[in-house]
Amino acid sequence: MIDLVGLIAPNILWIIAIIIGGTLISISVHFISVGGAPAAMAQATGIGTGTVMLAAGAGIAGIIAAGAVMDLNQNLGVVLGAGGVGAMVMLAATMIVATWIYAYGVGVMPVSAKVKYDPITKYRQDLYVSQGTEGHGIPTVAFVSSLLGGLLGGLGAALAYYALMKVGTYAYSGVIPLDVHNLDLVAVVATFTIGFFFINSVIPSYNIVGTIEGFHDPKFKRWPKAAVASFLASIPLGIVAVIAVGALAFVGGL
Amino acid sequence: MTEQKMIPPNTLMAVGAVGGLVCIYLAYFLSQANPIFVFFGALGAVFASIWGADAVRRIASYGLGTGVPSIGLLALGMGIIAVLFGLALDIGPAGPIVAFIVSCAIGAIIGIISKKVVGMTIPIMVSATTEIAGAGALLILGLSIVIAGSLDYGIVVKEVIRTGFIMMIYIAGGMAMLHPHNSNLGPDETQDRLLALSAEKAGIAVVLSGFASVAGMGAIAITVLIGIIIWYVYFGKYYALVKRDAYKVVDTGLLPTEEEMQ
Amino acid sequence: MEPLISMGVLALIGAAATIAGASEDLESDVGSQSNANSQVQLAPQMGYVHRIYNKAIAGEPVSNGLMCTVGSTGALVLIQHFGFSPLFALVIGALIAAMVHGSYSVTAIMGREASQARFKQPIYLDLIRSHTPVIMAFAFLTTFSVEVVSYLLVTSLAHPFPFVLLSFLWGVVVGSVGSATGDVHLGAERQFQQQPFGEGLNASQSGNIVRKAESGLRNGIDNLWFCSKFGGPMTGVSFGMVVFLGTWIILVFDPAKSVAYGWLSNLLGLLIVTVLCIWNWHIEKETREKYGPFKEDKGEEVSA
Repeated sequence: MIDLVGLIAPNILWIIAIIIGGTLISISVHFISVGGAPAAMAQATGIGTGTVMLAAGAGIAGIIAAGAVMDLNQNLGVVLGAGGVGAMVMLAATMIVATWIYAYGVGVMPVSAKVKYDPITKYRQDLYVSQGTEGHGIPTVAFVSSLLGGLLGGLGAALAYYALMKVGTYAYSGVIPLDVHNLDLVAVVATFTIGFFFINSVIPSYNIVGTIEGFHDPKFKRWPKAAVASFLASIPLGIVAVIAVGALAFVGGL
Repeated sequence: MTEQKMIPPNTLMAVGAVGGLVCIYLAYFLSQANPIFVFFGALGAVFASIWGADAVRRIASYGLGTGVPSIGLLALGMGIIAVLFGLALDIGPAGPIVAFIVSCAIGAIIGIISKKVVGMTIPIMVSATTEIAGAGALLILGLSIVIAGSLDYGIVVKEVIRTGFIMMIYIAGGMAMLHPHNSNLGPDETQDRLLALSAEKAGIAVVLSGFASVAGMGAIAITVLIGIIIWYVYFGKYYALVKRDAYKVVDTGLLPTEEEMQ
Repeated sequence: MEPLISMGVLALIGAAATIAGASEDLESDVGSQSNANSQVQLAPQMGYVHRIYNKAIAGEPVSNGLMCTVGSTGALVLIQHFGFSPLFALVIGALIAAMVHGSYSVTAIMGREASQARFKQPIYLDLIRSHTPVIMAFAFLTTFSVEVVSYLLVTSLAHPFPFVLLSFLWGVVVGSVGSATGDVHLGAERQFQQQPFGEGLNASQSGNIVRKAESGLRNGIDNLWFCSKFGGPMTGVSFGMVVFLGTWIILVFDPAKSVAYGWLSNLLGLLIVTVLCIWNWHIEKETREKYGPFKEDKGEEVSA
């Protein structure tokens, strides 16, 4: 049996960081403009795939970037930035190509059905919505909102990754601390971060129910509920994760 | 298809949880004598997957408001965190059962949070999330012991996680739980067909983890063989049930005529 | 590693990613997976029985994550335990993944169509026999390309994640990209070609997919033919961009040198994102001007 107190006590700060990370991931999902199946038929505004899947795709791009950078430079800001930017690049590249397809393959312009005027470009929206649809494509406001979502999600994932790496490399009494390049540690932390990310992106998708256009969508006002839910769920997950990752230092760097 | 005879959820839960745990413990103790016995872990994973698939079926039939796959990923996400925790405690044979209980607890917490905080109205939310989390943990334990030949934390980390095979368990195991419901979606879905499909997909996961095993050639051969047999038997069973349930299975043909559609 | 060699490796990774994206989208078009599949699923219920492959394995990210993980698991086992050369092992891994994927595809179409018995949707075995090999071939291409991306990242560019884990992650991302971009071309255009071009699908037309081809009945391969001209290649560009740009910003300003370089690489990423955002806005403006509104402005009575 390992020393639980000795594991948790020095890592309170990182448990809090993991909880914040989970909450950020949860909030980020509300920003990402997702039209679900209807968007694939140009029947609703947003990106034509499901909430969890798109958030996962973006967050995972963030985790890949954060993992690569963490190996090179352990500065907190740089790692968090890499996570956020990695997720944003993934979403931006996906959305611009989706816009090409909507504009040149389907022949529709990007338009939102939830607002009359785009809050950013001030363009009139309702006249451009084709009959029988809930908007189509990715207008500027949805694009910017999704980028913000990517930024937050990537930040959250990178924060959880960074915190768990710090937990793993901490010098516990009586053991040789693990190196940040230790492959066992990286693999365990990455696995945990992915599981943690999936849990925290499924919870908000239950809150959203289907589609959301971004921060201008009336559904966006529901975000505090999911944020509280993810906050509460991340507490036990954070503690459990810290113990499992910290215990790695005791079984040794193998 | 209400006239269809259904296996009650409690029976499946008992088979999945008890059968899964017993098989994992058989693998745990017998593999210390001879590594060939890790194949019991694979059988445990198959039981767990059938149980999990039924739980997914029950909860997803209420309409989650998001795709079916998300619940499978949620289940295995909870399972992975709980399993690593249970094994990391370094408490010997109690590890797997602790992992299972912690996973169920995390599932219950997430179920309660989804119900109370997010406000989901699905009545079986808490019990079903608990069940899928438990099944997910058993799947990961069962397939991990097949690959690593042991449930010692250090060995599991070295053989299952450092190599990345944990992700294969994650996704192939998750698919064995979520694919049956997703691919049988429709008004004429039947439980026995869905469960047969779950066993078939678990067979594929068993073959893959047997192939990746480090427990020696004997263990690899017998686990892969068991996986292929499970796959073959249940694929046949599934195809028979498809033929039973389908409107008709034809070699080729045009669309049904107007009169036929009346 | 020498920056020049890193750039060469990165170019190879970008090329492999582009192939992966394109084949991923085409694979999902043959079987009508993912979101566009909701209409294929709905059609029999609305009375439109069809001869189109209904491959509902799971969401595209999940099913692509599965095949890439299975492929790289097979490859890694062959490299580690059996001493195969990496290139050979990657090919065999992709072959295993394609076979597993084929099994998933067959059970998916059979299950979905058997569950639609009351709408009189028959299961056409010739359809399964002709389409499954095509699906497997594209699955092979996708898996192999994603494996190449992951393998090069791990071995040449020193990414710390395990090879199998990285394949899983890129598999999920390629599925995510593919279902967000290329499927729109299938869902909004090809499946509804009898509807006027240049508008979204009217909700009242849901399920009324095109079921007849130039000659005979339309099937998934006819859809593939159409989507391979625009949707598929565009998805390739998209995934290529995701992989290439995401890695490029770290290579240009290597964060290992100093914290300032780390921030520069992040700023470069932000710059790329801003450029793409402006481009999107520009297309929005251009299409609004050229295509024009669908409705007349009747003062304030029209509301969203």
